[in-house]
Amino acid sequence: MIKLSNLSKIFRTELIETHALREVNLQVNEGEFAALTGPSGSGKSTLLNILGTLEHFDSGDYLLDGQSVKGLSDAALSKLRNEKIGFIFQSFNLIKDFSIYDNIELPLRYRGFNAAERKRRIEQALELVGLHARRDYLPGQLSGGQQQRVAIARAIAGEPRILLADEPTGNLDSLMARQVMELLEKINQQGCTILMVTHDPDQARRAGRHIQIIDGQLHDSTLYEPLAAHSA
Amino acid sequence: MEQFIYYLKVSLKGIKRAPLPYALTIFILSVGLGVFFANATFYYQLNSDPLPHKSDKLFFPMINLVPYQCTTDCRTPRVLSYSNVQKLSQSGIPTQAAAMYSADGYLRVNADQPPLPVSIRLTQRDFFTMFEVPLLHGSIWPDNSARLEVILTRASAEKLFGRTEVIGETLLLDDRNVTVSAVLDSWQMLPRLYDANNRNHLTDADDIYLPLETGYDMNYLSNSQSSTFDDTDYRQLSTQGRTGALHQLQYWVQLDTPAQQQAYRQFMHNLVMDEKAAGRHPSEPNNQLVAMQDIVSYFGGDSSDIKAFALVTLLFLLVCLFNASHLSLNRYLSNQYEFSLRRALGASRSQLQLQMLVDVLLMASFTIAGALLTGYAGIKLMNQLLPANRLFSDWDLPLLLGLLAIAVVCSYLVTLYPSLRASFGTLNQQLKE
Amino acid sequence: MSFYLLIKGLLSRKVVTALLLLQLAMTLALLLNSILLAQQTHQQLNQPTGLDLNNIVLVQLKPTTASLRVYPALEELLNRQLAAVSALPGVVAAAYSNQSAILQGGNNGNVYLDGEEGRSNQPSVPMYFVSKDFFHVFDSKLLQGELPQQSVSLDNPVQPDVVITQSLARQLFADKPAIGQQLNRGRLAAVISDFYGQRSGTNVMFNSIQVAPPFGVDWGYSILLRTAPGRADAVRQQLVQTLRAVEPNIEIFHIRTLAEQHQRLYRNEYGLAMLLAILSALMLLVTMVSSYSSTYFHALKRQQEIGIKRALGASKNTIFIELLSENWLCTAVGALLGVMLALLLNQALAQVISIPALSGYLPLITIAVLLLCVTVATWYPAAIATRVSPATATKAL
Repeated sequence: MIKLSNLSKIFRTELIETHALREVNLQVNEGEFAALTGPSGSGKSTLLNILGTLEHFDSGDYLLDGQSVKGLSDAALSKLRNEKIGFIFQSFNLIKDFSIYDNIELPLRYRGFNAAERKRRIEQALELVGLHARRDYLPGQLSGGQQQRVAIARAIAGEPRILLADEPTGNLDSLMARQVMELLEKINQQGCTILMVTHDPDQARRAGRHIQIIDGQLHDSTLYEPLAAHSA
Repeated sequence: MEQFIYYLKVSLKGIKRAPLPYALTIFILSVGLGVFFANATFYYQLNSDPLPHKSDKLFFPMINLVPYQCTTDCRTPRVLSYSNVQKLSQSGIPTQAAAMYSADGYLRVNADQPPLPVSIRLTQRDFFTMFEVPLLHGSIWPDNSARLEVILTRASAEKLFGRTEVIGETLLLDDRNVTVSAVLDSWQMLPRLYDANNRNHLTDADDIYLPLETGYDMNYLSNSQSSTFDDTDYRQLSTQGRTGALHQLQYWVQLDTPAQQQAYRQFMHNLVMDEKAAGRHPSEPNNQLVAMQDIVSYFGGDSSDIKAFALVTLLFLLVCLFNASHLSLNRYLSNQYEFSLRRALGASRSQLQLQMLVDVLLMASFTIAGALLTGYAGIKLMNQLLPANRLFSDWDLPLLLGLLAIAVVCSYLVTLYPSLRASFGTLNQQLKE
Repeated sequence: MSFYLLIKGLLSRKVVTALLLLQLAMTLALLLNSILLAQQTHQQLNQPTGLDLNNIVLVQLKPTTASLRVYPALEELLNRQLAAVSALPGVVAAAYSNQSAILQGGNNGNVYLDGEEGRSNQPSVPMYFVSKDFFHVFDSKLLQGELPQQSVSLDNPVQPDVVITQSLARQLFADKPAIGQQLNRGRLAAVISDFYGQRSGTNVMFNSIQVAPPFGVDWGYSILLRTAPGRADAVRQQLVQTLRAVEPNIEIFHIRTLAEQHQRLYRNEYGLAMLLAILSALMLLVTMVSSYSSTYFHALKRQQEIGIKRALGASKNTIFIELLSENWLCTAVGALLGVMLALLLNQALAQVISIPALSGYLPLITIAVLLLCVTVATWYPAAIATRVSPATATKAL
């Protein structure tokens, strides 16, 4: 599904070069639920951005669904994002003056679905996250947990192959966080590959696979048992 | 003072943070106001009243006393014949009265000099008191009879003699000797309402003045309008011109009270009725007694181009105001965070409003400078393109103050809405954003 | 690209959008009326005059001494001047006249059939008193009758014969025979082709000409010259000197080709049209600034939104088109309002000046111009906005 080989990313300013990712190799298979952890500044957000084609990398290669993203045009990358990848952000990133319905509809419009198809998918997604009754609300009228569920609905409405979640529960209290996690697990069970950045060791443990990143280098959970040592 | 300087500093910081929008706001306001200023200048000057205390007391009587029956065009002629004026001046009602017309002539000190083309106003003695013409030297003719005495303007005296004290000097006016009896001080009545026919009120005052009777004796034809309604020979002005229906005169009477005005109307009515009875007024009576303040529009001489342009520049100013407030709103919105921060740190709304006021003052000064510059250029351009109005392009103090006030008001309006938005918005929400 | 979302976006910025719409509408209204006025002026300047404007030179002059303004000295002066200018190389024909053609007003009066004043009277018909080559100078075509060959004094017991232009003949006689009829000014000798006389007259093509020395020259008189093609300037340069050599006691008011005279006659219209054109250009500039800044600030404020959209699969192009479309939509709505406003302004202007009514394809062209300007102005800030990094924009605060 995802295959990174010797991928590196360097941030350059006038004075220093920072190696955000060094020679990263990673394979994520279809249907996996992987948690990505690491201290802040370790490069996990960069990795997620690169996986989501929001950022470019300097060397190595990235195969998404068997296709290299290297050298793809902006239009092609956008299409790829739109069709294959769903994003869930820590701060939800809903468009404030769009209704719940309009927010979910946005990627479907970019996809070029007709009105009936969009409606079917939005309703299906709303059903899944349990917010069918709130479709005409504005994001500001919902609680944080509800907003994140809307964001999840938006991410999955296009039936992406991969869901990239950047600390999806970071802004939520524990009850809401649990609901969101259960939702993600449900989505994963339906066959969607999920890669989730998290700080929460419990969540990391619940994921099928645990990848840790330190100083731009990966340590896979199969080799490393971090939980007790790193939980505060 | 120290506080003011602080506010000024904050304003300047705000400008530095987003110089382009600020410059664009100033540019747009300057252009809008400048274009408006340029046109407002002409509009104001063209519609100004040169004799505000008198313009409702001076009247031009016109009667349809012509020897033919009008069929299609029954408007009263715009100029009177010599005999018309004689009949109209028999009432004794007006406080003052003067008939007049203008002609072209050539003037020189002696036969060896090249001739100086001059515009002559042929008129009567009351002209100078009626229109408050200042006298520099000498005295005005004692009565309305013919005399070979000219009155010079200051400018023509200086042009001819190089000095102004020239009373008693002789000149050659179209090869005839005339004596200088008076020199006028600098005087320009704008618009020249006593001569509104053919839009002459837009032109310069005449160079020299000669008694009307002498003008007829010397056979001067009007350079503005001479019309005959019978077989009068234009060349026989001194004889046929005085009796026949050769119309070329304007006649102004001063009627100070409503009673006088009523009496004069009645007199005109009686005169026309008598003439009609005598068979000399074949057309229907159509008497007009037009006040000086209405004469331009009566003659249809309103500057329609300036009016049309006034409409359009006003629209333009509105557009610029909208635009500038739009820009300025955007500028404030991008500064909103800082505003909220200040309020969170304890600045009261009134303090923020004071800050706004300083912003307004700063913007107003930039805008005024830009607008005056644009306005000046606009006036130069309009003088090029519409030269007929060239005499009406000067800025005087009341006009300038009015324009400055408008500029300040506009700057205020442009800053008002954004300032309200920025200082009255919910504190909490802005900081959270 | 969704129309629905566009409108939603615009509605969410009510004040700004309303301001922009109003401004667009006013710009369009002004632009339209300026073009109308410019078109009208252009038509006026290009209307047929019946004259070879570029090859006829007009000298307006007057004797400065009174003795030269009376006969017979005056006639002698006129003939001497004619002889001198006729001899100039490049001059094909020369004539004097009490006044030129292509004037605002001048010497004019009633023309009617003798005994039928009430029925046939034509007021304010220009009266020309000319030397016999006048028709040659104007290159008039003789349509009926014969041109008078002798100059006859206006004081003669029998008035000099009259020549009138075709339009006036048609008005006076319709299709009836005209030659030999007695007019109030004299016997009709000939009908010639039309030429532009006086603008203030009932019909600019009405003219009546008599071959006679002018009544008087208190208002000055004209010497009209027909020059060989392309020689007008060369002839002009020698005129002052030649005329002064004949008689120094003259004032020459101006020397112009009739083309210049024609332009001066419509100077006010031209000036107003020019001013409106300049104003329209300024307005377009202001509109461009406004489109520019509105897009610029909008994009600035919505960086996060643009970032989210990019993450959700909108390409740079999609964002770019979205921003442009927003302005296009605004312009289109503004333009519709503008056409309505233009009609109102047109009516208001028609109260004070003569302006043709709004019609036809003109609104479409102006809307196109407006769209083009808005597009140009929006291009740069929209392109900048697409460069928002989705990775940064979607990061939480």
